[in-house]
Amino acid sequence: MLLKNIYNEFIKILAKPRSYIGIGALTLLICIILFAMKADGSSFISFVTSSFEQTLSFNGTILNGNLIAFIILQMLIVHIPLLVALVTGDLISGEAAMGTVRMLATKPISRTKIVISKFIAGAVYTFILTLWLIFLSLFVSKFIFGSGDLIVLNSEGLVILKEQDILWRYGLSFIVAFLSLLTVSSVSICFSAFAENSIGPIVSTMAVIILFTIIGSMDVSVFQNIKPFLFTTHMASWRSFFEDPVPYSKIFNSIIILVVHNVLLVSIAIIKFNKKDITS
Amino acid sequence: MKKLLFLSLFFIQVTSYSQEANQLLERVVAKITSVKDYSVDAAIKTDIPFIKILPVKAKIYFKQKDKFKIVSKGIVILPKQGFTDVNTFLRKTNSYMAVDGGSKMIGELKTSLITVIPTSENSEFVLAKLWIDPKNAVIISSQITTRSSGTVNVDYFYTSELAFGLPSELIFEIDIKKFKMPKSVAADINNDKPKDKSKKKTADKKGIITIKLSNYVINKGINDAIFEKK
Repeated sequence: MLLKNIYNEFIKILAKPRSYIGIGALTLLICIILFAMKADGSSFISFVTSSFEQTLSFNGTILNGNLIAFIILQMLIVHIPLLVALVTGDLISGEAAMGTVRMLATKPISRTKIVISKFIAGAVYTFILTLWLIFLSLFVSKFIFGSGDLIVLNSEGLVILKEQDILWRYGLSFIVAFLSLLTVSSVSICFSAFAENSIGPIVSTMAVIILFTIIGSMDVSVFQNIKPFLFTTHMASWRSFFEDPVPYSKIFNSIIILVVHNVLLVSIAIIKFNKKDITS
Repeated sequence: MKKLLFLSLFFIQVTSYSQEANQLLERVVAKITSVKDYSVDAAIKTDIPFIKILPVKAKIYFKQKDKFKIVSKGIVILPKQGFTDVNTFLRKTNSYMAVDGGSKMIGELKTSLITVIPTSENSEFVLAKLWIDPKNAVIISSQITTRSSGTVNVDYFYTSELAFGLPSELIFEIDIKKFKMPKSVAADINNDKPKDKSKKKTADKKGIITIKLSNYVINKGINDAIFEKK
């Protein structure tokens, strides 16, 4: 019954035009970035290497598909949560707004399973969105720009990774990126359980992400104790796979924090939906 | 009269030092000039603070006067100054003056120190100190100071191609004081590492680039197409 309900929920997601906004926007954004990089990618590269170029010269194909994929991920990982929340924020509240929540509750399935099936359907949608992101950013970029070593700039300095040492890093970083987006999906589903309209959970999710990101980026001592527990702090953990050596303990800690957030948020949504008065 | 005699002796002494330096440098330049072109396999190891890169293999092509190309599958980091540009600069014998700095021991080898000063005010080179093996007429060590890159120290090691003055190993020591990370790109909100308060100390560190050169192919002719930008 749960599987059937997940299938039904996923069909509902596919039937809504807004579900395609995310994929369309993602495609358009990546195409724009690819065009910009093809047209004037070298100036972007010189911005990264400018501080070293007085003393050192960088030879080889720096602007390649691997670097473009990294740039795209770095740019879009901030914006994709909105595209996810646009769909998942509507999953429960949308039923309330359209008045179909009563009919849904009359099905021979518990309310807990209804929320779980909505969460899983949302996760599948998020996975498809992440997969589309992988395809466009990595494979299309490689097709256009070719492959090569990856040059990554972080606060520690420059890390240059060998071409044959990159694909597994992308594979694992996409899994962590998916987990981050899944947490966004859980936040919006949780808000969705409390709301009666679609806009509220979407806006609330984005407001929480913006608020937590600002708190996380402020270098103020009062926030230092909260920072490690905010899910937004761990949303950029995918980037850690491009450090050398890979800080596995740090990534594992981020995964635990994100999983705990998912479990907590879905549990809150289940409790709220179970107590929800759908008769009035 | 005594003053005039002293000045004359001083002038003669300086001139003879300069002549000796020029003669030695001419022998070095003659050796450099005898190499019209070459290709060589290079193994490049970079050890620079703020940069993490594994050793890279590459193929280097050179053709007179100043054509230079490095071909590699991956990204290669080389010092901006001190590779072929020193030789190119030394070939322009009328663009600098050489001053003998006496003899210096490098390890067990007796070398002649020659200071090369550009005559043009606009030259990229500010000063070059060359420690030369007078017996083989090759540069053993150099200290190049340029306007844009600061000071680069280079140690040269020779084996099979000593007759052409081509080294088998080069060790560059470069100044990394000027490295600054662009904050907008390097910003990493996920980075929870405490800020390094010892950064002022590390700012004076040196970067080392070691290039091992093997399988020289000298004066066999290289197609100009190789040097064209891809």
